[in-house]
Amino acid sequence: MTDPFTIDLLRNYLLVGAALFALGMLGFIARRNLIVMFLSAEMMLQGVALSLVAFGRYHGNWSGQVFTIVILTVAACEASIAMALVVVLFNRRSSLDVTLWQDVREPGVETTDLADEAGEAAPMEPIEGVESYPHLTPAGVEPAHPIQPWTERRR
Amino acid sequence: MTTGSLILATIGILFGATGTYLLLPHRLGAAKTRTIYILGAVFASLGLVGFLALLSPPALSPLGDFIAGSFFYVFAGGAIGCGVMTVTSRNPVYSALWFAAVVVSVAGLFLLADAQFLAAGSVIVYAGAIIVTFLFVIMLAQMEGRAVYDRAARSPGRAVFTSFLLLWSLTYCLASVRGKPDGPPPAGELAGPEARLLRGREIAGFYQLAETNEGRKALEHSLRPTSSLYVEADPSKPKPNVAGLGEALYADHLLTVELAGSILFAALVAAVLIANPKRAGVPPTPAAAVEV
Repeated sequence: MTDPFTIDLLRNYLLVGAALFALGMLGFIARRNLIVMFLSAEMMLQGVALSLVAFGRYHGNWSGQVFTIVILTVAACEASIAMALVVVLFNRRSSLDVTLWQDVREPGVETTDLADEAGEAAPMEPIEGVESYPHLTPAGVEPAHPIQPWTERRR
Repeated sequence: MTTGSLILATIGILFGATGTYLLLPHRLGAAKTRTIYILGAVFASLGLVGFLALLSPPALSPLGDFIAGSFFYVFAGGAIGCGVMTVTSRNPVYSALWFAAVVVSVAGLFLLADAQFLAAGSVIVYAGAIIVTFLFVIMLAQMEGRAVYDRAARSPGRAVFTSFLLLWSLTYCLASVRGKPDGPPPAGELAGPEARLLRGREIAGFYQLAETNEGRKALEHSLRPTSSLYVEADPSKPKPNVAGLGEALYADHLLTVELAGSILFAALVAAVLIANPKRAGVPPTPAAAVEV
């Protein structure tokens, strides 16, 4: 009996895995938020896990799934350590921006002042349109509570 | 895979790259108009449709195969589309939630590849634990709304070029690899691309014919009956998923399980040590001493 998991099906899985890997790489390169960068790295891991499971299914053994379980373990460890690091880094600079940490670069590499440029080009006031936050009414002074009869009695 | 589908892949990936570039934040954090967003969404969905058209269509004749193939398209499109939204969302909370949708779609693909335990496990571990951790850290670290670094991307043009060039190269390699088969000659009537990527047990079946082959003993060791997805290597008799996976995990890969446990323990110690603000060996500051 031939295996129903043909090489065309394997190729489909590998293509989807490659797309997830490339999208994760795009997010890791292009985004500046530390947390979104780690999310993108997790997305690359998902693409690799998909390819491994498909290869294991094609070859008819459990190795792909065992490897994916190891990937799950390493991803959980990575996420916990990364989140601890993110909390520490946020406490140092009060920001999640990765470009603030350019002083740990290799010697001889130019810095990019993206943070300053962005700060000048787009100040922090809300932008009209899709990207604006709702304006909430400022809460005033707490009004004097009228004394209810039952609270008077209790006093 | 013909030349026409390669051209289709190139056009689809170009559309996807354009759409993703339009959806990504501006380099300097300038606002983008609604027209640019709609244009980017249209281009990205055109690219997604082109990429899905590249996949091999499912067989039509048995209804079960057709339904499974349709669900493959649904989950693949969901995974890639939610991946684009993860990368391009301005709000990191939305990014985390879109990533949860990616994980659920990939779990659906795992189900279609007969990996039920992994589908459940990845949903539990990723969407249940990792996403919640991410959301907690986002809430701890980012209380004042949308920051500049979320509205600005780091050289988005070059990043889109690099990653979609990688995607195009991978697609090209997967679609049109040619060459002589590297392994043993195909047994029987195998033809086409199946002959270029032989399944593991077919290679074993070939090498087991040659008595004096040195690789035979290693292959026999690595292809034990516990490592096969099927009972007696017969594809019509699959093993139950969790039982077979547990058997393979605890018979063939016992050391791996122990190592995974050690790695988890080390990560626990490291996370506690990194996140704890009080350092051992550092004398307390005068302010802290006054408070005490």
